[in-house]
Amino acid sequence: MAVLVIQVACADQRPPGSLTFAGSAVGREGEILRRQLASFEARHPGTTVEIRAVPDAADQQHQLYVQWLNARAAEPDVLQLDVIATPEFAAAGWILPLDRFQPAATEFFPATIEANRWKGSLYALPWFVDVGMLYWRTDLLDAAPTTFGEISSAVARAQREHGVPFGFVWSGARYEGLVTVFLEYLNGFGGRFTDAAGRVTVDSDAGIRGLTALRDTIYRDRISPPDVLAWQEEQTRFAFQSGRAVIMRNWPYAYPLLADQAASRVAGKFAVALMPHAAGGASVATLGGQQLAINAHSRHPDLAYALIEDLTSPEQMVERARMAGEYPARSALYDGSGLAALGAPPDQIRRIIEHAVPRPVTPVYSELSELLQVYLHRALTRQQDPRAALHEAADAMNAVLARSGLLTP
Amino acid sequence: MTTSPRAATADHADAHLARWLLLPALGVIAAVVGFPLCWMVWESLHLHDLRMPWLGRPFIGLANYRDAMVDPRFRTALTHTVLFVIVSVTLELVGGLVLALAMRQATRGRAALRVLILLPWAIPTAASALVWRFLFDSQAGLVNEVLVTAHLLHAPQVWLVDPVLAWIPIVAADVWKTTPFVALLLLAGLQNIDQSLYDAARIDGARPWRELVEITLPLLKPAIVVALAFRALDAFRVFDLIYVLTGGGPGTATESVSLYTFSALLQKLRFGYASALSVIVFAATFGLGLIYIRVSGGHLLSVER
Repeated sequence: MAVLVIQVACADQRPPGSLTFAGSAVGREGEILRRQLASFEARHPGTTVEIRAVPDAADQQHQLYVQWLNARAAEPDVLQLDVIATPEFAAAGWILPLDRFQPAATEFFPATIEANRWKGSLYALPWFVDVGMLYWRTDLLDAAPTTFGEISSAVARAQREHGVPFGFVWSGARYEGLVTVFLEYLNGFGGRFTDAAGRVTVDSDAGIRGLTALRDTIYRDRISPPDVLAWQEEQTRFAFQSGRAVIMRNWPYAYPLLADQAASRVAGKFAVALMPHAAGGASVATLGGQQLAINAHSRHPDLAYALIEDLTSPEQMVERARMAGEYPARSALYDGSGLAALGAPPDQIRRIIEHAVPRPVTPVYSELSELLQVYLHRALTRQQDPRAALHEAADAMNAVLARSGLLTP
Repeated sequence: MTTSPRAATADHADAHLARWLLLPALGVIAAVVGFPLCWMVWESLHLHDLRMPWLGRPFIGLANYRDAMVDPRFRTALTHTVLFVIVSVTLELVGGLVLALAMRQATRGRAALRVLILLPWAIPTAASALVWRFLFDSQAGLVNEVLVTAHLLHAPQVWLVDPVLAWIPIVAADVWKTTPFVALLLLAGLQNIDQSLYDAARIDGARPWRELVEITLPLLKPAIVVALAFRALDAFRVFDLIYVLTGGGPGTATESVSLYTFSALLQKLRFGYASALSVIVFAATFGLGLIYIRVSGGHLLSVER
């Protein structure tokens, strides 16, 4: 209680034009953030924005936010949120619906808006976009594989003929990243995570075929080393960057690192493409990325929205793309020449983002994902067959939805 | 029994004072142990899910305990933990005994030897777990390198994603780290054994093996019980080692009770359910401790003077 009183007292002493912003602020990320906040301050004389640095790791960042928001703290005013956190915080009443500010939602990629809606209201604006995509070696393959069948055939052949240790590297450790890869296989085979009523359907035939195909890359086709089951993004990138793999599934952050002549063996010898699909399915890219939302207990919601509007403006997005390589969430920006610094051709990036699908937009996503990770990993390490694993996973996830009271019977 | 009345009064006053002097310590224990414990029990009787704040925080009686009893993941984690305790503590006791006997024989540099032997124990678990992870790394790990070079393996093994083999680095790291601790406890016990017993046995022509079985082990029992109690209770709440090495995987093949409780509490933010799990674990370790004290006939409390 005493702490609360002190906090309130301090908050009242702040001038009306001061905001706090919670987000990642280390390294290059911090550099660009400080720069972008300074330019906002310059455009809004009398306003100051204080950075409240939070951990980069999504889990720890989430924990900290829950502590603050659950305690109804008035600060920070503006939060940088991972895309999967928006529905959770919205349902908890911890962030403000943005509808009354009339944001120009149609200017952003539809998937990025869909991911930030809860019960019909928009709760956050996309700041920058992350998408799962396929990196391929232009010196080892004639074209990017477009079907999962080609991954088994063409990639395996290239691996053999060129003596490359690995064919296909991906992040298969038991963590959120595994779910994002599975989602691309699930949709690629024509499956969906949930049905129209919100019930989990990962144990559909398509889901089982998708998980089996992913498992086959290790044990049948032998194009993926079993090591991938312990790998996250970085180990995957190292393998590809040192020239030991033909194709890789990863996120946009890897691009500038792979293109770096000094540190990468594949600089100038790789390109990106949309993930493959199977007959009856369509290629998709799992949507990631960071959003901006307003604390429901903020004392300056209007000013907070002005900051969000500023940070998501075309100019700021282009600058962020130029300095940090992060993909703008506005589709129109990919028309001009402003995004040349991204490396990959902007129209190609736009095509991938247009195929982006959000993870299930539900407040209990994290809990669903934790369960799914366990069952996916059991199937991939051959402790369970894919069918049994996905059935159990779907049952466990539907039980969580039932407990949450969110599932309409 | 001829205490003078004055002395008796003094004793009485001393006892009175002693009780007052104990109060601050008891207060601290109540604040840091009793209060959180009671709160945990209270939490465990509620549905309190920070990820589902719209459900409120209703009182649900023993429902969390019922859920825990039929939760296959919790039961598997319990089995893992018990097996881990049995295997690693057995290895540590045997290894510790061998080390202690060797140290007793050492005539020179005994102090230096003890410091050296205790080094693994002094390294923070998380740090040593990282080292073990590098050793067992599938791509660049020393273990694969050695085994493949020696033709014991024809291809590198991916240790940490095999449901059975993943236990090897976990148990190895625990044994490596805590055997020295057991050895020191046992060495202290060995030094309490009267040398004349061995001299007498030798005059009677006893062989070293009989000396060990007839003299050393029986007289070492109090120290063994203490070491066993410390290690078993410690191993039962194994967390950091597994968290760093496998995270409980592959799947949940190496998940311990502490790890599962952690995931329920800090990842899923299910405060009520995780509290119920914690209460169960607390009750189990508490019961285990009571049994030890009973079995050891009070040695557990008296040796640690």
